[in-house]
Amino acid sequence: MQVYKAFFKIILKNRMQISIYLIVFIVLAVAFTASYTSPVSTDFTESKINIALINEDEDSVFLDGFIAYLTVNANLVNLPDDPQSLQDALFFQEVDYILRIPDGFSQDFLAGQTVSLEKTAAPNSTSATFMDLRINQYLNTAQTYLNYGNVVSQYELVSSLQNDFSNSSSVTLNSHTDESDSAEKMAYYYNFMAYSLFAILILGVCAVMLVFNDSDIKKRNFASPLKTLNYNSQLVLGSLSFAVLAWLLMVALSFIINSDFMFSEKGLLLILNSFVFTMSALSISFFISNLVKSRSAMSAVANVFALGTSFISGVFVEQVYLGDTVLSIASFTPTYWYVKANNAITSASSLSGSTLTDILTWIALVLGFGIAILGVTLVLLKNRKVEAR
Amino acid sequence: MFLHNYFYRLKCIFRDRQAMFWTLVFPIILGSLFYLALSNIGNIDNFEKINLAIVLNSDEAENTAFLETVTETDLFNITETSKDQAHELLNDNQVDGIILFDQNPELSVSQSGINQTIIKSFLDQYLQVSSTLNTIITDNPQALSSGLIDSFTDPTEYVTEVTPTRNNPDPVVNYFYTLIAMACLYGGFLGLKEITTIQADLSTEGARVSVAPANKLKIFLSSILAATTIQMVVIALLMCFLVFFLKVNFGDQLVYIAITCAIGSITGVSFGAFIASVVKREEGVKIGILIGSTMAMSFLSGMMVENIKYTISQNMPILSYLNPANLITDSFYALYYYPDHSRFFTNILLLCAFNIVFSTMTFFVIRRQKYASL
Repeated sequence: MQVYKAFFKIILKNRMQISIYLIVFIVLAVAFTASYTSPVSTDFTESKINIALINEDEDSVFLDGFIAYLTVNANLVNLPDDPQSLQDALFFQEVDYILRIPDGFSQDFLAGQTVSLEKTAAPNSTSATFMDLRINQYLNTAQTYLNYGNVVSQYELVSSLQNDFSNSSSVTLNSHTDESDSAEKMAYYYNFMAYSLFAILILGVCAVMLVFNDSDIKKRNFASPLKTLNYNSQLVLGSLSFAVLAWLLMVALSFIINSDFMFSEKGLLLILNSFVFTMSALSISFFISNLVKSRSAMSAVANVFALGTSFISGVFVEQVYLGDTVLSIASFTPTYWYVKANNAITSASSLSGSTLTDILTWIALVLGFGIAILGVTLVLLKNRKVEAR
Repeated sequence: MFLHNYFYRLKCIFRDRQAMFWTLVFPIILGSLFYLALSNIGNIDNFEKINLAIVLNSDEAENTAFLETVTETDLFNITETSKDQAHELLNDNQVDGIILFDQNPELSVSQSGINQTIIKSFLDQYLQVSSTLNTIITDNPQALSSGLIDSFTDPTEYVTEVTPTRNNPDPVVNYFYTLIAMACLYGGFLGLKEITTIQADLSTEGARVSVAPANKLKIFLSSILAATTIQMVVIALLMCFLVFFLKVNFGDQLVYIAITCAIGSITGVSFGAFIASVVKREEGVKIGILIGSTMAMSFLSGMMVENIKYTISQNMPILSYLNPANLITDSFYALYYYPDHSRFFTNILLLCAFNIVFSTMTFFVIRRQKYASL
């Protein structure tokens, strides 16, 4: 088993470069899962948008009523009233809406003059349009009372408004999955694995093959009494053990993070999917390792290939947010089908019938990629050998 | 001598495939990936009609009135259906909610979200308007004939939009700004290489150069100038790629943008030279430190997660001023977003300060070194 041992000696020599990807993966995985653990709520919660309110108006009962209404319908975020911090907050989506109530607003409004509030928001955003509607509704209703109702004081006006706006429709929430939150996290975890695993396998396999493909070393090895079949199968065994080891490490971590989910049917499917993907990625790494000629090219290819396939296949940015053209390009990579299967597994309400058939088809596609590329590599190697003679 | 060395260094750097890959090709690839992954995100927040199923009751007149109100809002794609079918649609995520229209309309949803909230608030509004109408008509029965309904169907617009900034907020552009910052700092590869090739204890070329009867300062300056020239060309190419192919919006202040690119490039080169001269380890470690610190600084300016930049500027502002990558990013951001230039100039001045510190440190380390033997 000299070849097998040599394989792992070379891997150990490259442990720094390889472990960077492993450490990045672990840190991000832990940070992500620790980031939020919102309990699954069984009640409907209204989405409230974050608004920054700048009030330059004088105190009045009407204004207090209006601000109370805003407080119920939005999250008021306290920000210092200087243009830069307001604009920064809007740019980085800390607030979605900045509302300025100008001086004399209530007085003019109550006197029936034309008034307006100033808002700043991202153009065409859903949340801003929604906020506009709410504000307009309140003020229009108030105006209607002033025009047609029998309100004599601001108190009466505000209490009528309060009475109207306390009407609320009843909502029932029929959640079909009660584990959606942890499922979403696991989907992210397993999707992210595609990136790290790809980088690790390309780096590992390339580092080893660069050594074994060196022409002097090759000549020496072929001069040994070891049969080629034996030599090659030790190499294959080495790469398989390396890939399985990397895969096992990551899967084990997912059990530590959420063992309940991983022991369920869905968890097992995720494991199956990731195993098939690992094999496919290994076959691609093997292909690349026969094209790469130098160590500096190796890290370039590993970075670009792992990042590139991950970006277009929806590892970092979810597939629903990607454009159609991007996705159709991505469908020529196994990563795309792997991510698609992961998302389907975790979001399915029940694993049966057509959903399960779809998932298994996608997993089979990933496997198909692996086999096809392995075939191409073998043909390539065969031709090379013929040339060499 | 100065020009001789300058032109040869240009050739050497240009032919160094590894350096060219990391400074030019890698940022272009990463930029294309950002583009592919993020180009759709800007449109996600745009409003699209909400899919809604409605289950009606038996009263024909009430139904028509209610349906008319729903249709008028122009917010929903409506499916009229039976109760069972509606729930099937909801389970398959074909609709965001079901309205069971009866004496008191009721809403069924499968999750909490903005679309569900909009449906709910529509229903709330329906109830609230009814309540207002009831109150007013009870108090003042004549109101109906004097245009009460019109005030609901033709509401006044009370909110006006003001845009105090130069351009609209667009979190996507920040990713590309950090990308340029990263590319600028990757110019450190070139600075690092130049120091290695003129220092006698770092490379054999360095030993050869030191033996030559040439002024060390001259050689140093011409080498660094060559690295800076290449780095500026690289950044210019990257900018052209971003602006003409990926259509990233940088605003329209060309001169200021060029200044930022130039200062950013110089910062990158002097940063690399600084690492090369201060860190006394083999070249691999220096490159590791260069890549690692550049990545860390890019991360802190929001290259992976856009909110990081904001969070840091709010909670640890000092860190955002001590991070050259963030200063470069913030300069582009300020040019894109702010109508005045005070923030831009603060960033540029701080970058210049960094340059002076890096260059001075480098100068004090590499000057007056003599070796009897190596």
